[in-house]
Amino acid sequence: MVISIDTNFARLLVRLADTELILAQRLCEMCSRGPFLEEDIALSNLALDLLGRAEELYKLLAETEGKELAADDYVYRRNEREFFCYKLVEQPNTDFAWVIARQYLHDVYAKSVFTRLLQSDNSKLAGLSEKVLKEIRYSLERSKDWMLRLGIGTEESNHRLQFAIDRLFRFVPELFAFDTVDLQYIADTEGLIEEWKMEVSDTLRTANIQEPELKSTHLRDSREGFHTEYLGHLLSEMQFLPRAYPDATW
Amino acid sequence: MEKHEAAFNALIEQDLKIEPHDWMPDEYRKHLVRQVSQHAHSEVIGMQPEGNWLLRAPSLRSKQVLLAKIQDEGGHGLYLYSVAETLNVSREELITQLHEGKARYSSVFNYPTLNWADIGAIGWLVDGAAIVNQVSLQKTSYGPYSRAMVRICMEESFHQRQGFEIMIHMARGTKEQREMAQDAVNRFWFPALMMFGPHDTDSAHTGNAMKWKIKRESNDYLRQKFIDKTVPQVEFLGLTVPDPNCRLNETTGSYEHSPLDWNEFHDVINGYGPCNTDRLDHHRNVQQENRWVREAAAAYAQKTETVNSSL
Amino acid sequence: METGDNIWEVFIQKKPGIAFKHAGSVHGYDKKMAVQNARDAYCRRGEGRELWVVPSASIVSVPMEDADAYFDPQEDKIYRHPTFYQIPAEVKNI
Repeated sequence: MVISIDTNFARLLVRLADTELILAQRLCEMCSRGPFLEEDIALSNLALDLLGRAEELYKLLAETEGKELAADDYVYRRNEREFFCYKLVEQPNTDFAWVIARQYLHDVYAKSVFTRLLQSDNSKLAGLSEKVLKEIRYSLERSKDWMLRLGIGTEESNHRLQFAIDRLFRFVPELFAFDTVDLQYIADTEGLIEEWKMEVSDTLRTANIQEPELKSTHLRDSREGFHTEYLGHLLSEMQFLPRAYPDATW
Repeated sequence: MEKHEAAFNALIEQDLKIEPHDWMPDEYRKHLVRQVSQHAHSEVIGMQPEGNWLLRAPSLRSKQVLLAKIQDEGGHGLYLYSVAETLNVSREELITQLHEGKARYSSVFNYPTLNWADIGAIGWLVDGAAIVNQVSLQKTSYGPYSRAMVRICMEESFHQRQGFEIMIHMARGTKEQREMAQDAVNRFWFPALMMFGPHDTDSAHTGNAMKWKIKRESNDYLRQKFIDKTVPQVEFLGLTVPDPNCRLNETTGSYEHSPLDWNEFHDVINGYGPCNTDRLDHHRNVQQENRWVREAAAAYAQKTETVNSSL
Repeated sequence: METGDNIWEVFIQKKPGIAFKHAGSVHGYDKKMAVQNARDAYCRRGEGRELWVVPSASIVSVPMEDADAYFDPQEDKIYRHPTFYQIPAEVKNI
């Protein structure tokens, strides 16, 4: 390990930060690739919210760990196995339905998590959660609207969304495989799972999308830095400059 | 008709604005549509060379700044398409003209971005050149265009500064960073100067555009203005202008420069620049690959929209 | 224009109590999308606290040919303006 994460609170923060960062990087890939100009601009707003959120979380992480590392060190100087984002958010932008489905599944989850973090003993995290929840409420409204547009719109859009949901649902059980770190900081995880399932089932039903079965597995997960192959490529591109010119500052 | 023409001329004469429903000469409308569409396409195509480094931005701060800037370009494209729409030309029509090679965009975006300093050079030189032009266009005679330019100039005020900030970091950084900075200036200096368009004597569209106050200042005047304010900035960075003949004329107070290579300019304008094909293919492909999304949105609206104004 | 791809005029209120101001237009396939697109395109710098979108096609304007008939006859009704009336200088607060 190049940069170790030493406390449970830091482990919680790094999971949150990495998840928001990697999703932001995926949304950055959509820049100039939106289905029309307005949506392009909207996706950039979403990515900027996520980047800002990730930056605040990394700053808090750096402060908590007290190793004289900056937020950027956590972003640019860790390897694949030292990232702790959920596998869901590293999945590629296969088409616009994937972008929307991934965002929606993330937003529902993030809303529940940050709502619980409002009660955090750490006042900075509680304060940040309040700000973040406003962003998520807007993002969730938009991603849900698009779920309905694609699900109800045309036969093709329905099929594409169904395919994206089928593929992405494989990564949902991981979200709920809470370990002792999560349980220490996130209250009422049972309730969280219930909330998530109710919200998602309801949307999928309205959008005429078949809800795939959630299969719990016993595989190692992102909490141990275990990922899909997509993450490494994303990181090698994202980290290129600081890695290629380690002495430079930007 | 004569009454309308007199009213139009009076508005122009008094430096007042022409509005969408006012009578205007066909040629005035045509010129505006051409200029505004070229401007809009430039903003939108301009997202690509900068987007080329978005995923590789070397810090969280620079990634956010760059994304906000690229998003602004998209927004400005949107405002300008809206201006064209007030002249009854749809965005779809304009994009079709772009894809068919009938509409142009600024030739500078047909050059590749090859290192991170290029992002600095684009913000500083390319946006810098664009701002000189756009500040002048705030006074354009067509109301919606003028209002869009006011908003665009306000929003773009950070673009040039962020570009220059990158250049400072690069020019004061490691040897490799300084080399990247000089390389970027070498490649973008002349293309930036060409953004002002052909010499006044060769500019096909300048005449009426000046008379009607669509354009307020000539290409050469604006180009010189840009050179005069930018050369000292190059010197501040400790970099050199890639032009051995660039020197201050003590009498005029302006910088002299070598003749521009108009052959290159025309090659790039006519589709033979390093990236012309890629830029258009990218735009066309995104449009085609997402047709199903737009169809879905249209079908959904048809199934669900009501006249009720509640959401 | 593609079917369903409509243009909406955007009006923004910057602060409570002041008039909504026309900001420009956006495309949107449905009204919810239109209001979201307006927010994402026109309120990126804290420009607004309230937002309206109106289908462009719903804007009704005075026909250009009739502009003089609509507006010129009001120009000589100067008695509608307070400066038309002469009040002695010593009378205050009127």
